[in-house]
Amino acid sequence: MEKQSRYTWKLGMFVTIGLLLFIMAVYFIGKQKNLFGSTFHITSQFKTVSGLEVGNNVRFSGINVGTVEQIQLKNDSTVIVILVMKEEVREFIKTDATASIGSDGLMGDKVLTISPGAKSTKIIEDNGQIASVDGIEMHDIMKSVKKSVDNIGVISDEIAIFSHSMNNGNGALARLVKDDKMANSVSNTLSNLETGTKGFSENMEAAKSNFLFRGYFKKKEKEKEKKAEERKEKQEEKKEKQEEKAAKEKEQKEEAKKEKQEEQQKKEEAKKN
Amino acid sequence: MILKNTFTEIGETTIFAKKFFKEVFIPPYETKEFLKQCYVIGYKSLPLVAITGFIMGLVLTLQSRPTLVKFGAESWLPGMVALSLIREIAPVITALICAGKISSGIGAELGSMKVTEQIDAMEVSAVNPYNYLVVTRVLACTLMIPILVFFADAIGIIGGYVGINIHGDVNFYRYLTQIIQSLEFLDLFPATIKTFFFGFFIGMIGCFKGFNASNGTESVGQAANSAVVTASLSIFIIDMVAVQITDLFF
Repeated sequence: MEKQSRYTWKLGMFVTIGLLLFIMAVYFIGKQKNLFGSTFHITSQFKTVSGLEVGNNVRFSGINVGTVEQIQLKNDSTVIVILVMKEEVREFIKTDATASIGSDGLMGDKVLTISPGAKSTKIIEDNGQIASVDGIEMHDIMKSVKKSVDNIGVISDEIAIFSHSMNNGNGALARLVKDDKMANSVSNTLSNLETGTKGFSENMEAAKSNFLFRGYFKKKEKEKEKKAEERKEKQEEKKEKQEEKAAKEKEQKEEAKKEKQEEQQKKEEAKKN
Repeated sequence: MILKNTFTEIGETTIFAKKFFKEVFIPPYETKEFLKQCYVIGYKSLPLVAITGFIMGLVLTLQSRPTLVKFGAESWLPGMVALSLIREIAPVITALICAGKISSGIGAELGSMKVTEQIDAMEVSAVNPYNYLVVTRVLACTLMIPILVFFADAIGIIGGYVGINIHGDVNFYRYLTQIIQSLEFLDLFPATIKTFFFGFFIGMIGCFKGFNASNGTESVGQAANSAVVTASLSIFIIDMVAVQITDLFF
């Protein structure tokens, strides 16, 4: 008997710890899958669930709050998804929340995301239903991608024709690019133009001092001065207005502060009393 | 001829195993011997299983790391290691270790008892040797191997944590949550169920080989040797069948 009790407690400890490990594993995995602890259910109707599976995560504000419990076909264009979620998040989910299906990463599983609504303040009930937003299907994306790729094809064809005619044609643009003579003549033209404009500005200076045109130029200068004065006046008015505004705001703030302080004082007094 | 011998042995083992299911429910229950065998098989094998489990976790982490880093999926390392440990590595490695330690031990023990005619003496003194020797050992094996596997799982996961911290720095709590996130009941339960079969076969084959040792000292060694070989082989066969069944239903 003495010998037996020596090993029995070791055996008992061994078995207990071993089973405890197993129970812990079961508990933690179960907790992860929401099998234990209080939960509530939500249903939502979708046109398509895009490959959502039972056991996928449900997210609210990016946090995993539940899993997809059941997916049923109601009729040929409606799928009912039943979600099981942690009771503790129920108070944050209002009746106008919406469910949408997205994917977790590029290769990841599908994820059902619940987005908060804007208006309702009523907390959702157990087995309540929320609206759904149909997610973007892969083939929709592919359709629009195909359209833009087709457009790009047309554009690139035209660019090809354009560049071909530019390289091989005899049009003005082609000659501009390829022909040395053309380039030389263009640069000559430009330099001629430069000297021409210099001469022209000299002519204009001369014209200003001429008595025939003097009156006209003086008038222009006077108008300029008038405009400048008007601008200055306007700016000054604006400044004054802004200063007045700022002063008013300051007064209001100070009043508000004073009121707050008074209230606090009253409260403190009330507490003391 | 060899084929015929093999089939004969399989047939004899089946009859031997059938007898177990008959005897296990019939009193007298040898509780004291059963507890002693549990102690020897379970508790005494723990250090060996713990060391193996730790090393498997560590090695598995270090070995699968480069591949995952190549894909930029280093964060999957804990989940992957835990998954392969719990689903496959820990049950099979533990079972193989126990086949080496327990099956050979039982084979040698019963073999030498048979050779020295102690089993015959039992029968004469009105003790059912099958009930006293075989049922207790097989039952102890069947129940203790799963527990040893739980230990191997847990220690292997700790080994994986050490392995991950050789290269990076991961908080232990974060490591555990990553593991639990990647696990499901389907990973745990089929793996646990098959360990009962492992245990049963380890005990049964050891007992059969020992019980059927022919007279002569060298047959004790033979019994121990063939017990290890047959038990190891049967573990792989059970594992294959178990994987196929799991794959079929889930």
